[in-house]
Amino acid sequence: MDAMAQAALWFWLPAALIPIGIWISLSTKVPFQRTFARFLAMAGFAAIVASPWTVPTSPSSEAGHLLGFIVGPSALLLVGLYLVSFSGNVPVGRLPKSDRRLGVMSFIIGFVWFIGMHWWNLTPSLNGEVNRYWLVFWPTFLLLLSCLCSGAALCLRMIGDDRTKESNLLWFAAGFVFSIIVLGMLVDGHAITATEFRYHLWLAGADLLGTAFGLAIAILVFGVVIFLHERSLPEPGSVDPPTAKEMSHVTAIVAANLGGDTDE
Amino acid sequence: MNETRLVFTWRAMLIAFLLPLVSVWALDFTLGGSVGAGIDSLPRFANALLTSYTLGSLLLLGNLFFYADSRKRPLAPLFGMLAAASIGLFTTIVLLNQGDLLMENNGSVQAQIFYNIVHLLVSTGAILLALGLALGTTFSTITAQKARRTVFEEE
Repeated sequence: MDAMAQAALWFWLPAALIPIGIWISLSTKVPFQRTFARFLAMAGFAAIVASPWTVPTSPSSEAGHLLGFIVGPSALLLVGLYLVSFSGNVPVGRLPKSDRRLGVMSFIIGFVWFIGMHWWNLTPSLNGEVNRYWLVFWPTFLLLLSCLCSGAALCLRMIGDDRTKESNLLWFAAGFVFSIIVLGMLVDGHAITATEFRYHLWLAGADLLGTAFGLAIAILVFGVVIFLHERSLPEPGSVDPPTAKEMSHVTAIVAANLGGDTDE
Repeated sequence: MNETRLVFTWRAMLIAFLLPLVSVWALDFTLGGSVGAGIDSLPRFANALLTSYTLGSLLLLGNLFFYADSRKRPLAPLFGMLAAASIGLFTTIVLLNQGDLLMENNGSVQAQIFYNIVHLLVSTGAILLALGLALGTTFSTITAQKARRTVFEEE
């Protein structure tokens, strides 16, 4: 089997199984199909993470390698936020107060883990070199998180009703992430120098803007295609007025459904 | 909220969203400026735009099947979106074949296209994680506050 076919079998096929599995599990109501679809998605995920061993010659397997590295801290961050959010003042599905500490711990460990991947020896490296997709993921993640927290902080302050305290917390979060970016620009990491990080921040910014513009154009084209199709449809023909028999039938139904006591 | 205030709010939020991005670039210029990265950013921007446009069009093409359910399955919009996605792919191939215009240290056009797709998947992962964290942080700051009571006054 040549390298191309191996990459198709061990990387691209599992990569396709994940969205297909998620789509089927969300759209079906049959329990067996749902379980099978979830299994498909999980199997695809596992095969992608294993791709550095199954197709070591394919450059795409570096993405599988990165996925294996970031799945742990990402899960800790998301689970931590879930526990913190739902152990607070929520009307339904409230978790015990003790889960808040667990959530905060989980969040801190997840974030420190990510930071350790930049400044400590946890950097995703393959064959002695830093995984090139890590240099895509990390600056993009930090840059966008800082932007989103900043936007959300102002959104809470301007649209929210008396949400100054929450807005200040989000400003703090945006500032904290921004300070990590600045530290990365000034202080060399374990395997990535400050100059390299600054270089990849530029690329991350270009990447985010390019992706946003590309998606916006695709949505615009989609709207234009629908608009042109709907405009080309003929006007719906008018129907004949109801006959006397139909009118009496409708009258009977309306009379049967109008009720209530009459005023005396 | 009146219309003028709403426009101002949107503008202010957009500025707040872009503030860290602009600050990082300004700081980088102050530190000596990665002008080389600025030049390399152009192929990255173009590749990201073309890849997200093509894959986004293909996703929306899939979405059209659901739209078609309520319209007696017309073929015209399907062909329209297929043509739109094909234009994206064709443009990508043509531009990648123009020497070093859009190539990023990849040996062939095919390798660059696969790199672009994997690159977009990794960027999408970073974007989704950042979105999840920003939404989760916003939600948790709101639920962490004391419960509010709404007092209804009798007229």
